Amino acid sequence: MSLGTQHDGHGGDVREDVGTVATVAERVRDAIETVIEGKPEVLRITLTVLLAEGHLLIEDVPGVGKTMLAKALGRAVDCSVQRVQFTPDLLPSDITGVSIYHQDRSEFEFNPGPVFANIVLGDEINRASPKTQSALLECMAERQVSVDGETRTLERPFMVVATQNPTDMEGTYALPEAQRDRFMARVSVGYPSPQAELDMIDSHGSRSPLEDLTPVTNTAELRDLVERVQNVHVAPGMRRYVVDLVNSTRTAPELKLGASPRATLHLVRAARAHAALEGRHYVVPDDVQTLAVPVLAHRLLPGPEAQMERLSAEQIVAELVTRLPVPGPR
Amino acid sequence: MPLATLVTLLASLPLLSGLVRGDQWWVPAAVLMTVVALVSTAYRSLVGGAFAVPFLQLFAVLLLYAPLFAPGTAALGFLPTLDTLDHTAALFEQGVHTIDTNSPPVSPTPGLNVIIALVFMVFTMTADFLAVTARCPGMVGGLLLSLLVVPLFVDDAGMRWGPAAIAAIGFLVLLAVDMWVRAHEWGTRVPSARGHGTTPDGMAGRVGLAAVVSVLAVSLALLLPQAMPSLRTDALFTLAEGRVGANDSMTTTHPMVSLRRDLGASSERTVLTYRTDDQEPEYLRTFVLDEFDGENWTMTPVHAGRDNEADGALPLPPGREDEPDEDDLVTTRISLDSDTAPMDFLPLPYPARSVEIAGDWYADESTLMVFTTGTPPSGYNFVVTSAENRPGARALASAGPPSSLADDRLHLPGELDDRVQELTDTLVEGADSDYESALALQEFFTDGDFTYDLSPPSVPEDSDPLTHFLFEDRIGYCEQYAGAMAVMARQAGIPARVAVGYTAGRPSGEDRWTVAASDAHAWPELYFEGSGWVRFEPTPADPDGGQGTASRPDYSAGVDELPDNVAPEPNPDDDPEPSETPEEEPSPTPEPSESAGEESDEAAEEFDETGAVTGGQGPPGWLPAILVGLVALPAAALPALIRALVRGARRSTVAAGGPAAAHTAWRELRDTCLDLGSTWDLAESPRSTAARLAASGESGLGAEARDALWRLALAEEGARYAPEPQQVQGLRDDLDTVVSALSGAATTGRRWRAVLLPPSLAPWRRPRAGAEPLPGLL
Repeated sequence: MSLGTQHDGHGGDVREDVGTVATVAERVRDAIETVIEGKPEVLRITLTVLLAEGHLLIEDVPGVGKTMLAKALGRAVDCSVQRVQFTPDLLPSDITGVSIYHQDRSEFEFNPGPVFANIVLGDEINRASPKTQSALLECMAERQVSVDGETRTLERPFMVVATQNPTDMEGTYALPEAQRDRFMARVSVGYPSPQAELDMIDSHGSRSPLEDLTPVTNTAELRDLVERVQNVHVAPGMRRYVVDLVNSTRTAPELKLGASPRATLHLVRAARAHAALEGRHYVVPDDVQTLAVPVLAHRLLPGPEAQMERLSAEQIVAELVTRLPVPGPR
Repeated sequence: MPLATLVTLLASLPLLSGLVRGDQWWVPAAVLMTVVALVSTAYRSLVGGAFAVPFLQLFAVLLLYAPLFAPGTAALGFLPTLDTLDHTAALFEQGVHTIDTNSPPVSPTPGLNVIIALVFMVFTMTADFLAVTARCPGMVGGLLLSLLVVPLFVDDAGMRWGPAAIAAIGFLVLLAVDMWVRAHEWGTRVPSARGHGTTPDGMAGRVGLAAVVSVLAVSLALLLPQAMPSLRTDALFTLAEGRVGANDSMTTTHPMVSLRRDLGASSERTVLTYRTDDQEPEYLRTFVLDEFDGENWTMTPVHAGRDNEADGALPLPPGREDEPDEDDLVTTRISLDSDTAPMDFLPLPYPARSVEIAGDWYADESTLMVFTTGTPPSGYNFVVTSAENRPGARALASAGPPSSLADDRLHLPGELDDRVQELTDTLVEGADSDYESALALQEFFTDGDFTYDLSPPSVPEDSDPLTHFLFEDRIGYCEQYAGAMAVMARQAGIPARVAVGYTAGRPSGEDRWTVAASDAHAWPELYFEGSGWVRFEPTPADPDGGQGTASRPDYSAGVDELPDNVAPEPNPDDDPEPSETPEEEPSPTPEPSESAGEESDEAAEEFDETGAVTGGQGPPGWLPAILVGLVALPAAALPALIRALVRGARRSTVAAGGPAAAHTAWRELRDTCLDLGSTWDLAESPRSTAARLAASGESGLGAEARDALWRLALAEEGARYAPEPQQVQGLRDDLDTVVSALSGAATTGRRWRAVLLPPSLAPWRRPRAGAEPLPGLL
């Protein structure tokens, strides 16, 4: 690991290894932005999850570009992308793959399912039956597939980008809390601004800009970046800060269910990636604060009082963040 | 902790050692305190919790109380009964009586012991609550302070250093134990990656700040009283003076009674010794009694102030125009015996010209008495230079009417027996001058009709002591002789007063003299124009039937020395008339030299030096306002001063660099924001704070200030969270830029408040949170 330092535009000190992360991530971001315009926050969370080796849940109404985002990400990184359209009749084997008896060779041959890819796009995941949902979620957690007693490891990087429609829409099976917990972050794309929508008409008029998107990095480099992200420093005070923040969701009276210890790990990993994205080799409270809502909110269940006051989990997390003092001088 | 509290309070017990005699009084107090502390320790360590502690402590004290203080009244030896209650009430009464009636040091009585023990018991319980339950051991200092104040107020000798030091050490022990306990409870701070929490630079800054603050505090404490003249004069003495003025008999009886006691003792105990080159030393005069109320001679209240300090030359004696010649000066070195009761008026030969003595001494202008308002030590030495006071008989005989003297030296109460006046008239009938009259009066007392007796038969209740002495039994001692002669001299128109002190004593060596208690004496002083006050001696100087060491001055020895051809010019009988007229109605405009007290009034009005004003006039109304202003101004400027000091110290720390620099700069930025009234959110990271501050004011900060602010925030962020914080240069300039930009963006009112009453100094205005460590500097 190189110890040389250079200065970024903000005057903070940057190490070369983390600097690479920032540069590569910048390239990926630029590439995706040719397709998805005016959503820098969403892009940032997406890249953060990618670098932190997490899985992303995109929740929004149809037609705002959820699938486009996932596809653009897969295209920008030169890697395999598989798409699964979740429907109520989808079976688990449709995801993991099946062993088919090969009559010529008199043996079973494994036919890998769509989960064998670097980026798996699970579209409308909440329309599938819970059984199928859990099949995918097992792969997400363990990064391996067990079929017919044989365990097959998934290639890294492995990232599931699942989209889901808001749960109150027709024909959906809401993801149980335990399964939502496996997603590192949840984002909403949201409607584009009028200007972005105007630009979109121009660029998307004739042909999809996705076809012009050329890969800017590859899986090997991505793996390297992920390694580097794990070297980002988290000060003892910052660790404590994350634990306190997660803990506050458990003690907050507004919440029926707080965040899990897995949430703590996810938050720290995401914060590392976020810091590296900004070219910093240490985590600051701002990383955690930015990520608190995407990483924590989808795991929480607001209590009846919060529901009465129409407080969403996002609002409660944001409020908790403003209450918790940041770690002071050592 | 409870034991440390016990140690602290036990260490404060010696504070009272100056007030109570003996070495047993503290035992019950120590026993009770120990029991109280042990109960606290046992309960907290065995059971835990704090709620029941005071109740258990009270219970334990209740059980111990009867065996300790009221043995015999308790059932089964320890259960308090009604008798115990009665006994306690009696003990308290006794204790209060002891405190009321005795001056320190007091001999311990059981009642006093009970009070001391219970007070210390309550103190221990309070301290236990403060230090252990409430975890504020610093507050125990308040209790100790109240103990410190007791000897300061009650004991004239003031506080003793030893006990005070012991008490202070006890307090430090308590604080140290508290720090130790805290460190054990919470663990010490995690050291940073590079091993050193503080750099020499940071340490230097801190030590420097501490030094500056200490020096400032000490010099303020020293200079502030100097700047305020009112604090110079002794407020306690003013009070005492007022009391004396209200009830003259106190002043009278004080010297007289002490005189009578000395005479009564008539011991040969040495009071003082002195060395002088004078062959016939003068009497040593202590008091001058110049007012007669019909029964007693009393002293006009004296005034102590800046204007009459007895350092260097004393004022000219009344009636003398110029300084006496060098040849006439006599130097006397007086050593007071250490067994003698402390004298707050010096025994001096009259007229003293200068006194060399340590301490604050004041001289009364009209009488040349030298006195102190403080407590003189019981044995001390001083050197006095005095002029010879032996005017020739000729000068006395030719003296004119006492024009240069205030008329009240002739004042006599109206209700005197007419026989006295008749007697005086008879005695001075043939005299041609005041001087001859004086000689005639003196002759009247010494010609043998009077009997000198140190223990004369008491004067009947209904008869006047003066007439009784003059006409009935004619038995008395120097006091009666001197008093009667002074009264009669005034009747004859000669200003007179009574002096009290010692005779010259007996020679004990070449130039050494010893004055014993039996040499205490009183004599009249008569005033002659041109010569001033001269003493006469009506008391017989006979070792068997008089004051053995008394001596008659040459000029009063007899008329024989007076040359015949000197014709007294003024008619003695006429003289008193003009001077008696104004005595009936007090002169509306007092002469400057009349009374030192009134002079001090003028001085006070002229120089704003108030506080020691005697007499009926109070200080002018605007004086308190000025004083309040004098006190209030520095007090009002104090916050601004402290804030400036803190800022200065922090700037130097920032300039020194090191890891503390960023933190210090950030802390200063925080305090500036608090001063200016902006919010400071502990849940905000340095970045977000910087972003918010950059937008403060109407149009936000300037570009330069924004950059500086951003650099500060990044430096602080790195110092807090980075594994190896980078050294950032130029933080001090950035800090200055940001601070000035922030105050520029604030409103004028806020800016003024930030300077005069910086809220950042108030601990309760600080943002509080668990994650915020204790501020390092303040």
